[in-house]
Formats: sequence, structure tokens, C-alpha cells
Amino acid sequence: MSQVAFSSWGRQVIDNRQGGDVEVEVAKKKLPITFGGEKNIAAFMGWDGLILHDPNVDVVAMAAEYAKRVQEDYCCAKCSPGKKGTRVMQDTLARIVGGQGNEGDLDTLLNLADLLQNCKCTLCQTSAVPVADTVKHFRDDYLAYIRGEKRDKKAVEYKVKMTAHCQDKCPAHVDIPAYVEAIKELRFDESLEIIRESMPLPSVCGRVCPHPCETACRRANVDKPINIMVLKRTASDYEWQHNLQPPMQPKPKKDKTIAIVGAGPAGLAAAYYLALEGYPCTIYESLPEGFGGGMIAVGIPAYRMPRHILQRDIDIISSMGVEIIYDTHIGKDITLMELKKKFDAVLLAPGAHKSKPMGVEGEEEGYNGFLAGGIEFLREAYMGKPTGMGKKVCVVGGGNTAIDCVRVALREGAKDSILLYRRTRKEMPADSWEVDGADEEGVQFEFLVLPKKIIVDDKRQVTGVECIRMELGEPDDSGRRRPQPVEGSEFIVECDTLIPAIGQDPDLSFITEETGIEITRWNTVVTKYVPLKSEAGRDLNDDMGNPLSRILLTDMDGVFASGDAEIGPLTVVACVGNAHRAAKVIQRWLEEGKAYLTDDDFHEDILSHLGVYDKNEDVPWLDAVTRVEQNEIHGKARASKGNYNEVELGFKDSDAVIEAERCLRCYRVSMIAV
Amino acid sequence: MVSLTIDGKSVSVPEETTILEAARQLDIHIPTLCWLQKVTPTGACRICAVEIEGVDRPMTACDTPVKEGIKVTTQSEKLIRTRKQIMELILVNHPLDCPVCDAGGECSLQNICYDLDVTQQSFKSENVNPDTIDEWPLIQQVPSRCILCEKCVKVCHEIIGADALFINDKGDRAFIDKKVENCVYCGNCVSVCPTGTMISKPFKFKARPWALRKVPSVCTYCPSQCQIDINVQGNEIFRVTSDDEGTTNNGNLCIGGFFGYSYVNNKARLSEPQVNQELVSWEQAFETFVADVERIKSESGAEAIAGLSSPRLTNEENYLFQKLFRAAIGSNNIDSEARFGALQTLRALDKGLGLRGASNLLSTIGKADAVLVFGADPSAEAPAVEWQIHEATRRKDGKLVIANMRQLKLTKFADSQLTYKPGSEIALADGLGRLLLDRGLLDEKYLSKAVANLSELKKQLAAVDLKKVLAATGLSREALEHAADIIGQANNVAIIFGADISKCSLGTAKSAAIANLAILSGALRDQGGLFPLDEKGNMHGLLDMGVYPESLPGFQAYEENKEKFSRAWGCQLPAGGLDAEGILQGIEDGKIRLLYLAATNPQSFPNSNRWMKALEKVEVLVVQDIFPTAVTKLAKIVLPGVTFAEKSGSVTSLDQRVRALEQAIRPVGKAREDWEIFAELYGRLAKKSVTFSRSSILSELSDLTSLYGDVCFTGEDRLRPCLKQPYRPADKSFQYQLVSVNEEAEGLQLLSGKSLSHFGTTSTWAPAPLEIEPEGLIQINSADAEAVGVKDGDALKLTSGTGSTIGKAMVTDTVPQGLIFAPYNFVELGIQQLMPDGSNRTSVQLARA
Repeated sequence: MSQVAFSSWGRQVIDNRQGGDVEVEVAKKKLPITFGGEKNIAAFMGWDGLILHDPNVDVVAMAAEYAKRVQEDYCCAKCSPGKKGTRVMQDTLARIVGGQGNEGDLDTLLNLADLLQNCKCTLCQTSAVPVADTVKHFRDDYLAYIRGEKRDKKAVEYKVKMTAHCQDKCPAHVDIPAYVEAIKELRFDESLEIIRESMPLPSVCGRVCPHPCETACRRANVDKPINIMVLKRTASDYEWQHNLQPPMQPKPKKDKTIAIVGAGPAGLAAAYYLALEGYPCTIYESLPEGFGGGMIAVGIPAYRMPRHILQRDIDIISSMGVEIIYDTHIGKDITLMELKKKFDAVLLAPGAHKSKPMGVEGEEEGYNGFLAGGIEFLREAYMGKPTGMGKKVCVVGGGNTAIDCVRVALREGAKDSILLYRRTRKEMPADSWEVDGADEEGVQFEFLVLPKKIIVDDKRQVTGVECIRMELGEPDDSGRRRPQPVEGSEFIVECDTLIPAIGQDPDLSFITEETGIEITRWNTVVTKYVPLKSEAGRDLNDDMGNPLSRILLTDMDGVFASGDAEIGPLTVVACVGNAHRAAKVIQRWLEEGKAYLTDDDFHEDILSHLGVYDKNEDVPWLDAVTRVEQNEIHGKARASKGNYNEVELGFKDSDAVIEAERCLRCYRVSMIAV
Repeated sequence: MVSLTIDGKSVSVPEETTILEAARQLDIHIPTLCWLQKVTPTGACRICAVEIEGVDRPMTACDTPVKEGIKVTTQSEKLIRTRKQIMELILVNHPLDCPVCDAGGECSLQNICYDLDVTQQSFKSENVNPDTIDEWPLIQQVPSRCILCEKCVKVCHEIIGADALFINDKGDRAFIDKKVENCVYCGNCVSVCPTGTMISKPFKFKARPWALRKVPSVCTYCPSQCQIDINVQGNEIFRVTSDDEGTTNNGNLCIGGFFGYSYVNNKARLSEPQVNQELVSWEQAFETFVADVERIKSESGAEAIAGLSSPRLTNEENYLFQKLFRAAIGSNNIDSEARFGALQTLRALDKGLGLRGASNLLSTIGKADAVLVFGADPSAEAPAVEWQIHEATRRKDGKLVIANMRQLKLTKFADSQLTYKPGSEIALADGLGRLLLDRGLLDEKYLSKAVANLSELKKQLAAVDLKKVLAATGLSREALEHAADIIGQANNVAIIFGADISKCSLGTAKSAAIANLAILSGALRDQGGLFPLDEKGNMHGLLDMGVYPESLPGFQAYEENKEKFSRAWGCQLPAGGLDAEGILQGIEDGKIRLLYLAATNPQSFPNSNRWMKALEKVEVLVVQDIFPTAVTKLAKIVLPGVTFAEKSGSVTSLDQRVRALEQAIRPVGKAREDWEIFAELYGRLAKKSVTFSRSSILSELSDLTSLYGDVCFTGEDRLRPCLKQPYRPADKSFQYQLVSVNEEAEGLQLLSGKSLSHFGTTSTWAPAPLEIEPEGLIQINSADAEAVGVKDGDALKLTSGTGSTIGKAMVTDTVPQGLIFAPYNFVELGIQQLMPDGSNRTSVQLARA
């Protein structure tokens, strides 16, 4: 039997109160049964309606509380209907709940719901949706209040959270509508302050973020998504271009210390938030000074992420009281156990810097011209070390690293730079604009080919790679069509350099057995989590297949893990979001002696699993202004030898404002009764 | 162009036009409440919602751009009902205190309720309006009247760049709050407030708007010369307002314009003539003056008589002043405080560029791609210039380079701040010029067309030693290159320079270096501009009228044109003539026996002690002023003149517009308009009955000079200021000037300059600016303060070669180590005593006091 008594979610009314048994898809698959593993979710109220699990919940009181929280905590007051209308809504509901209501008040509520269609944004407007649903579908409950009848209803606790589609989709949950609005108001400095509340590497994620947020932008339902990433860059560039000092003021120094392994996005982000709270952090970085930034520095080429700008973000973090000890390998120069002894808490964020083997014949032979891997190639090129690259370079892979390799190969002086990928361009996991960029620079693509064997001459020098043609078959688990070899189609691609770039693994050899820290078969660190199940009985996991609500504490007390080594190789923004949570958990552990997630964390996870964005939503708006794209240097010369100048140039401020004005500011308020 | 139909009428408008603007072209009225043309649209009130075919929600006309082919409906039953209901919501808990509300009678909320026929209230809610905010100086905030339209917030941020106002709290409790430390008290929040939320405390409860008579006039506190309306009832000024439409300042004012008028009403004003410190009749005063002049003339000749005029006086008054001296008294010993600044700049610009004043209109700054602000603080010297800089660099994509010894209010908006060492202005200008060359940023074609001595220019540039430039300025090569790139890569460059250049001891040479940079950067092309600032209201009019010994009106060299004027005026003009320094020396030598100070106070001249001592020696000191000062105490004859509000006449702005003042109130007591006094004295001395009127003076001017185009005198309407003859340099007319002098500033330097809230010494008689800045503070870097052992607010003693003073320290890192800044506006602080002759900067010793 369905565990849902009533649902109006998604504008589809399912009413099981009189004994029906219709299932509610969202409740069954998307929502957990419990809030944080213990308390059952009794009702869920939000922008798209009401889901009532427990028929004993007082829906009228819940609507009244919802309206109150919207008006008092979230309504920005920047438009008249929102500011005043939700206040009238709140007070009207309060009057009814207080026994002072009359039937006319119900008409007022519906009228207000209509008037709120005129709001500047859709926060207050959509807050009227569930309220109106209750008036329409729970009229008897309202009338009971109006008649002064006492009804015995269940006492519940409310959990409330505001989000937005883009913010929800962003792994770091940056308050995107707020920073976009600040740009609209020519407040670039305030915009950056908002960004930094959840993104301490704004210049990086203003440039190289794959911006999943833009795939959840409601403006796309009108025309095209807001250029969220470049707006972030605009705010971040404004600060250094105007020689402004970052405004952050860390709290007074505390006496408990934290060691962080790795000065990559996760390590830096965690250090930033811990330093803001006053905790002295020491980051141990294996690379020498000047090469901080982890995968951002050694994995993302300078034409995408100019070094002085990355370094500025790192310097800002250092200036907040974070010490970075370079050139120090954990497990070699100092052991993890020693770190544990020396510091009150340890965060492991070593990243994933080891290329996966490709599985071709001759891979283990140590041939000249067969390089260790894409990530190693990028690192050496960036550090100015000899890469072993020749003139005709083949890179194997379809991800962003592979694309970075072919584009860096050109800049390192390759005459031919060829990408070999076993599926087609459409299936490439690399960001499409990166592939386009490589194309523009003269990279050659060989799609639907699988390298089989390395061809060498008598001096063990690579002269080519034998490949087999592929064709696409049925879709696999990832939804992409599975490539299959075409028998007898073997051919040779001539090259003097072959670089495998099919993925990276963390190098966790420093985590010794004595630590007791368990490692997954994907070579990531196991962390503790709160198990959550859907009504259908399935475990709730994130997109990477990890448990949804992880505490990020490893099997060793006081040792936490974050970043690619915890999630699995992903993105800068995912590492930052993950590390921000780790920082908060570490602080709780240091101050209260236990590592746990808060209601807000759980609520965040529940919403992100639910998915705030609905690509089928009809969004009425006049599509008068199309998306503004940033300026870019074009032509092959941008990839000439030694030219690592930035290719993308960002917005002019005025373009940023025009783009920001397109934002529909889609805040949504969610309330869960437990 | 985009075509659309609104209410069935077709219209074609440029892209990016809003539906509201398009509707206005069709004379279709869409109601608005929060919309304010001069700031970005807010879309707060939602009253302007319209329907667009195919879009299933109302769209606000004010912030929705047009789209090809859309069909817009501005009036429908639903829209009308919605607008009414939104108005009802806005009015929930709006207080019914309209009878005593300051905005009563000029309230947009009242008007729109009337227009939309909002006569009932269907909503009610708890009143959660925050309490009235009384603790802000000068401005009161009444949140219950606020409709949160954000006009004030936007004007404060976008136009003024103060960023003081913001929305605090959430929901219906939200109100406009202020970061008080950021407020510059310009009063624009009060001006734009559509209701009685933001209130001027000095005006509150004083008058009803409809009872006030609005007299069009000009604010003469600074040479921006904003166009204002003096709001008068009886013979008293109650407030100053300015319209957004039709004024060159778009209705914006600064603390001077908005709050600074109150000196006019000050009870301390001089209201009766005095002779020997006794109140006398005008007749007695005139007779004494004439007798003294004639006596001294007969004893020592007219060359024993001298006069200093003032940028506070109108064009007509300055014209009469010089004519009085040259034609009626027979002395060419006339000068003014322009000697210590504006004249130095004029000499350099005239010589190198044939330019007298600014080369273009202020509005060209707002359109510039790059603005260089060199040795100027526009926020203090000419706020309207600052607003244009915000327009160029924040509303548009222009870049801002600031070269200054100090950090300014504008610094946080600068793409490049070059904080140079005191005295290194020439090196810096040269260095920037050289880098323009080195970095291939010179427009050779333009230069060869415009410059007379191109080979000399190249030789000079090649001779610039960048290493020396870096050493002299204390700047990094990267910083200079970055600035040069910004300037060199821009199509339209505006260069603004100010008191730090013009008033220093090498003002002419430094101005010449800037003139050279203007040539190299292309700032003198049609779309650019060179803007010398001088913070005194009618400085340009004073110079135009030739109130200095070297020149007759219209910049006609004195000796060469003496005969022409002699013929016209029917007299023989005297030979020679002393400038201010010569006059001072002459007094000290006993050669000048009568000195006429017209609306000018030597207490604010450099080396003011020397002036004050000299004044004690003057046998007949004649002071025409509006307030009793240490100088009037020394005077034999005191003639009470009037303020800008009590006279008519014309003034000339820094960008060469001529605007008319209209008399708004009668002179206080027996005070007389200054030009009447000059005219009376002229008549008595010339022994002919003369009648001067504004039009007769102007027609005399136009016969004798080519300052003005004909257009100038066609209308008296202040909304149409006329332009002087625009600057149109001929081909090959620019002279690149050889600037070889240099100076090295040794030891701790004291720089004097203009305060942010005060204008000359006049505003120190106005209560409102005094409430914000009651005294002159000595700005000192934290390291220097620590070295001498003073903390913020401690007394600090400054001693230079010419004098010493004690004042309160303000410890701030906006001044670098080694530099101290103090405003000259406060006679009490008396910083000008420490300045050497003709200088704004000196070595100084510090001590705790």
C-alpha cells in the first residue's frame, strides 16, 4: 500500500485519504523515508505542492508555518506583492489557526496566490502553490478551524530550507541567484562575498567548472541557461582587477590544529573554511612551492586557468592563517600516524593523480614515446620538466584530461596532435566546449577506434599504435551506446608519442594497514554515512554511487577524507562542496566530540536527490535577451608553441549585467514535517 | 531596430529598448512607481506589468526589453484589477499621516493611488514596520512610509558610488538601512524618494512643498555648476532641489548643493556697511572709498591701489571689477587666488594646446573608454565630475586610472591606482608618455596631423629615462605599464587633473607635462577631453573676464589690446600691473596703500600668515564680503555683498557652459548685490552717471571679445545653458612643451587640499556641512602616527618654515607613510599658514601637542 495519504506534487493530485492506494512516484523513489535516518518524514511541502505521508499531520498549521517562514526568513522584500502579499498570507493563516478566521479568508488566500504571480521572482510566487493546494484540498480542515473545532493532530517538527534549482544542482551549493543578482546591481564585490560563502576558489570555478548548475537553470526552459560560470568569473576578476583586498576576517585563533593532506581544491577549500573559524591548518603538499592547487595546477593547463590567478586564490587562503608545507610526501617524509599524533584532526585530500592503465599490448615495456599517462604529461609540461613528447602525439581517451593533453601537446610544439577515442564525439565525457576548442586549434580526432598494440622500431621507439575500428551497439548502464570492435578492421596510426588518458586513480599507498582505514575497490577512502532508504526500499546514493549523506569520517577517529580520493575522481566544484562539508564536520568533531550531519545537511541532500529542476516545467517569460557568451581568442595561433595565454576572456562588466538580468531568481522553499 | 505593437499601435525602436520606453514613444502611459530613468531598472513595484501575447504571465514594462513582433497590451480588465490590488498591498499599514508628511503634495504614492483609483483596502496584516530612524545626521528615515522602491539605494550606489544604503531584514520588516560611515550626505536619497521616507532634517516640518516658490539657479560652490531650484518662501531659502530632466547634472547634487545653502540664512551675515568698524550708511561708505582712492591717487598715483577679486563673483561682477580698476581707478594691479592655481594651468594649456579651460563637455567623461584622474580628487573638487566617472567606468565599461599621492574615495573603483611620491608628477606624466611610445600605443597619424613640433616631441620622449621615472615616482614598472596600456588602448580618453597639479609650486610645468600627456593619449580628439579642475565656483568666469594683470577680458593680452579697450571705454588704460605676489610685496614695501578685497579671503591663500601681516599694514583696506572675519576686522571699509541666491548674473562652468543665476531672495539687511557696488563706485569715480544692466554688460563683452557664440544670449531660460565658443584646435597647433624642471620632496610632506564636505571657507558658515565635518582633521598614516606617538583624535602639532598649527589627528592609511593631508577650508586649523608662497605642499615637522 502507498505510504502517501495525499500528494499534489508536480501539479498532479493523488488523494489516498479515503483509502486509495495510488503510488506517488516522487515519494517512492526520490524521497527518503526518514529525515537523517531516525525521524520519519510525515509531510513534505514545497514549491510544487504537498506530499502528505501521515494523514494526522495538521496541514493547516503546516501551511501557516510555511507562510510564516517564507515571509519572515526568506522573502527578500524587493517587490511589493512578495513583501506585502506573503505578510498578508502569513497573518491570514495565523488568524485562521488562532480561531479568528472566516470563510472569506480562504478566498483571500486564493486571491493572494493569484496576485503573487506578479512577483519579481518566483520565491513568494511558488510559496503560494502549496498553500493554495491546502485551501483547495483540505478545505474541511480549514473550516474546522474557522468553526473553532479542536482536532487532535499529530505534533510535528518542521525543517525548512531555501534552495534554487541551480544552487541545488551545484555540488558546492553556491547561492547562485544571490550572486547573480548582486552583479545585476553592479555590486561585484558583494557578489564575490556571496560566492565565497560556499566557493573559496572563485577564480577557478569561474573558469574551468563544468557548471552542472547550468543544466538545471530554469531560464533554459525559456531560451538558454544563464551563463552562471562566467558571471562567477566576472565577480572574481573584479576584485583583483581593482586591486581590492578580500574582505574575509578569520575568527580569533583556536588552539586545536588540523593537518590536511594535499593542497588541491578539497584541501584548500577545507582549510579556507576551517581557517575562517579560527582553526590553524597545515596543508602538506607533495609538489614543490609554486605548484599548489593540486589537480587545478597540474591537471588544468594555464590557457584555461592562468597561474597568477590561481596563485592569488591560494595566497588568499595562506593569508588567512593556513600554512602550506610543500615538497612533502605523506607516507615518505612523514607518516599518517605521525600526523595523527601531531594534530587534533587530519583531513585526507590527496586527489587522484595516477593514470589508469590502458590495457594495450606493450604497455608495460617501457618503450620510448609511451608516456606514463595524461595527468603525468600535463604535470610535467606545466612544471617545465621534460615530458618525453615527440612531434606526432596520440592521446587516448575522451575526458577533459585527454582533451587537455592534445591541446597542451600543440603548445608543447607537437606538429600533429591526435585524439583516439572509442566512441563518437557525442559520447565524449569531456565538456563539449573543450572539444570544440581542441578542434579549433587543429587537433585531429579519430573516433570509434580502440588502441590494441604499441608499435615500436628496433630502438624501442614508438612509431605507431595499432587500433581497431569500433561501432556502437546497445546502450550500457551509463546510457551511452556500448562500442564494439569491428572484426578485421585493424589499422595503424603513426605516431612517436602515445599518451593514455583514460582516467585517474588516487594513490592511497600512504594509508597503511595499521590505520585501519578501509579503502573501496575503486581505490577511494571509505567514510561513514547515514543510511537512507526510499519508500521502494532502495538505498539513496549520489550520482557517483556513494551513499547520499556521508559524514566524511574515516574508520580512524579524527581522520577525515575529502575530494577525489573520497568521492572518486570528479570535479573541482564537487571537491569544494565535499570539503566544505568536511570542514563543518571536523569543526563539530573538534568542538563537540562527535562527527555528525545537521538538519541542514540532511535537507540539502534530500533536495539534491529529489532534484529541484524540472526540465519539462513550462516557464512563461519573454525571451527577449539571449544568453551572452564570453569573449574568446580565436584561431590556431592561440595554441602555438609556448603560448599558454588564456583563451577565454570573460565578460565586459556591462555584458555581465545584461546576462545577470536574464536570471529568473528561482528560489524555492522546502519544508519537511517530521 | 525592433518592431512591436503596443495596444495595437506599431512602433520601431532600437534593441535593448524596454517596453516602457517604447510605449512612451507612442505616448502610451504605463503607470510606474519604482522606475527612475537615471538608474538601472528595479522592477520592485510591479505596477507597470503588461500582457504580451503568447507569454502566460504579466511582464513588467520597465525592465523587459522589446522583442521583434511582440504584441503588448497595457490596459486590460485583469491588469487594472491587478494594479489596484498591488497598490492595496503596498498601502497595507502605510501610515495615514499625509497631512504632516514632508512628501505631502509631492508624493508619487498619493499620485498613483489617485491615478489608479485606489479607494479601498481589501487586505490587512500586522503592522511590523520598524521605528523611525532618527540617529542619522541630516537625514531621517521613516520606514513605515517606505515602499521599498530602492531608488535611494540605487542612486547611492550607481550614481554617487557611496554604497551607504541597503535593504536590511526580510519580508515586511525589511527597511532601508545605512552604513553611516559610507554616507557622503549628498541628499540624493531624499531627492529621489517618492514618498516621505527619506527626509531632510533641516527641511522637515518647515514648509509645504506647494507653498514654495522654485527659482531656477546654479549652485556656485564648485565649477560643476549644477542646475538647481532654490525653494523659497517669503525671503527665506527652505531647500534646494534639482530636476532630473533638463539639467546637466540629471538632478544629482552633492552635500554642498543639497544641504550647503544654509550659510545664506546665517544670522552672522554682514548686513550693513562699516567704516572704521562702525556701522555707516552706504553713502558714507562710498564717499569714504572715493575720497581715499582720490587722495592716494593724488599722493602716490593709481599704482598704489590694488584689488583682488573672486571666483565667488559672477561674470558680470568680475567684468565690472576689472573695468572699475582699469578704467575708473586707473590701476592694473588686479588679481585673484587664480594666481595660486588656475592661472598656472591656464598658462601651460594655452601655450601647448591653445586651450583655456576644459576641452570638452563634462558628459564626454561619462562616455570615455579610459579616464585618467591625475592629482585630483573629483569627489571633493567637483562632484559632478565624479558622477561622470562612475557613469563611464561602472555603468559602462570604461577603465579608471588614478594617479594621486593619496587613496581617494574613487580608488576602490580604479583599475589602476598609481600612488606616486610627492613631487614626482612630471616624472610620472613623462613615464606614461614614454610607455605609450614603447608599447606601440601612440597614434602616429593623429600626432603628425595635430602636433606642430613632432620631431621635438619624439626627441623629448626618447630622452625619458624610465629608470629615473620609477625611482622618482616609487612605482613599479608593471604598474606603469598597466596604466599606460589602459590609456593607450582606449579610443576615447578623458584626462582630469586638479589641485595637486595646479596649486603646487611648479604648477605651470606640471600642467604642461599633463598637456603633453593629453596630446600623446589622444585625449584632445573630439570624443575625449582634458579637464583641469579648480574647485572654486566661477573660476572660469573670473579668468574669462581678465581679472589679472596680463590679460583683458576674453584672454586678450593686456599690452597688445590696451588701446582697443581704451577706445571702447573712453579712457587711457594704465601700463604695467602687479599680480598677487607683486601686490603682497608692494604692501610689505609700503607701495600699495589701498587694497580692495572683493569676496576673497587671504586666510585661505598659501602663506596666509604673511598675507595677514601684510593686511595689517595696508593703509586703506576695503573688504567686500558676506561674513565677518579676521580680515574684515582689519578693514577700514567693509562693504556687505551678497550670496549667489540674492543676486542675478551669469557664471561659467569648468566645461565652458554659461549659466544664469536668478535672484531668489532679497539681500539680507542693507547688503547689496556685488555688481551694484562696483557699478556705483565706477560711476562715482568716473564721474559719470552710468547704468549697468546684465544685458548691457554682456553686449559690451560680446563687442570686445569673442568668448561667446551668439547663441549665448538668446534665452534667459536656465534650462538651456549656453556654450562658450567650443574648443577646436587647428591642425598642427599643438606644441609639445619641454618640461625640464623637477623637484624632490624631502622629509615628511604636508599637503593641503579641499575637504569632502566643505567648499572654500563659505560652507563653514553652513550648519549642515558642519554637522558632518565640524573641524579640519590632519590625516596621517598609522606608521607616521605611531612614530610621533599620536592616536586617532590626539592633538598634533605641525610646523613648517612659515608657521605652525595644532589640530586633531585622523589616523588613516589613505595617506601613505611620509605624507600628511589637511583640508585648507578651516580657518581655525589654519593649514595655509604652513604653506610656502604659491604652494600647496611643504616639508613639515610633527610633534604631539
